[in-house]
Amino acid sequence: MRLGPWPRGSLQSVRSQALPWIVLLLVLGLVRLSKGAAFADLYALISRPFWPGSAQSEWLRSSQRLASDLRLTQLREDNARLRALMELNQSHGAATPAAVISREANGWWQQLLLNKGSLDGVRLGDAVQGPGGLVGLVDQLSGRTATVALLTDPSSRIGVWVVRTRQHGLLHGIGTSRPVLRFVDKDPLVRPGDVVLTSPASTLVPPNLPVGVVQSVDQRANPTPEAVVQLSAQADAIDWVEILSRSSR
Amino acid sequence: MNRLIRQPLGLASLLVPPLLTLAAPPWLSIGGVGPSWGVLWLLPWALVDGPLSGALAGLAVGLLLDGLHPGLVSELPVLVLLGWWWGQLGRRFPQFERSFSLGLLAMLGALLLGLSLLVQFALAHAAGLDQGLGGPVGGLPHRGWAPPVIALAGLQILAAQSLITGLLAPILCSLQVLLWRRQRTRQR
Repeated sequence: MRLGPWPRGSLQSVRSQALPWIVLLLVLGLVRLSKGAAFADLYALISRPFWPGSAQSEWLRSSQRLASDLRLTQLREDNARLRALMELNQSHGAATPAAVISREANGWWQQLLLNKGSLDGVRLGDAVQGPGGLVGLVDQLSGRTATVALLTDPSSRIGVWVVRTRQHGLLHGIGTSRPVLRFVDKDPLVRPGDVVLTSPASTLVPPNLPVGVVQSVDQRANPTPEAVVQLSAQADAIDWVEILSRSSR
Repeated sequence: MNRLIRQPLGLASLLVPPLLTLAAPPWLSIGGVGPSWGVLWLLPWALVDGPLSGALAGLAVGLLLDGLHPGLVSELPVLVLLGWWWGQLGRRFPQFERSFSLGLLAMLGALLLGLSLLVQFALAHAAGLDQGLGGPVGGLPHRGWAPPVIALAGLQILAAQSLITGLLAPILCSLQVLLWRRQRTRQR
């Protein structure tokens, strides 16, 4: 039996009825492909008035801070215990805040004068830290003032290490705003952007204080490679510092 | 020097160079390097008061300025010599009290002072005093500058300090010359 052609009117009605379904299926297909992102966003928009209040997020943040503090305390204790076992320097002692009352960051003597001295418990050789990192060492003392030799002063030599490669070196002040890091190893694998901290093996400074960032590396320097370090604490813009006591090191 | 001791103003003015060195006003500097305040104070004093007084004033201000900086390097010898020399010039050639001459003399003084510091830093390095941890304080070494440091930083500091000292001298030293001349006239 042969079927005749469909009546024209009925074909059009089928098309008009199927079209919305096709569109709907396409949209649902897109939703499926986007893994419900649009729905999630829409739900987030609708449910915004019912979200947990700021108090709950503050509780969460404070509990995270507490957890971080506890973890930090635990790590410090572990660090101190391990360093004691290895007979290395202890980390920072008591920190004495001090104001910078005079600065000579670019002259013949590159130094700061602080308003705390030997009467406040400051000792020669104490490390001085500013916002950003190590600034220098106490070089001269009076009862009420301390002179700090900056890391940029040509007399300054600080043991440091590059955290990423664990390579140690000596940071030399050369009178300019960027000291030079001379490495111990011939091939330090250091590259610009590496962070420089005080060396855990140093007897002069507390370990792992931020010092600066490697700006450029000269692999051909003789006898070992050198790097120019951009200091993280700018001495000519610092008004307050912390003097880290050596007593507990 | 007698005037320095007899007059409270003269004695008090001796405190100005170290106080200004400590204050280090950043708006009176070139490339962060300030003028040599010792030179700016000593020049008019020596020109007005003669070689002996100039040398003694140089000794006094040198002692004060050396107290501000740790280490062996000293500004004192050159300040004494400059005080003596400027005192002689003041006696023989009164025209050196003009503004332009004051600027040139101060610039020359700052240059000689800076050169003497550079030589001392270089000698300390050559003698190995800046090596190791054998310094006088807390394990820090003495200050000594290697030749690359002198080339990098030393010459720049020297040029900047000489320039700013020479630029400020016509104003500051002229005023001081007038002040000390007036004081001297009153004394007579």
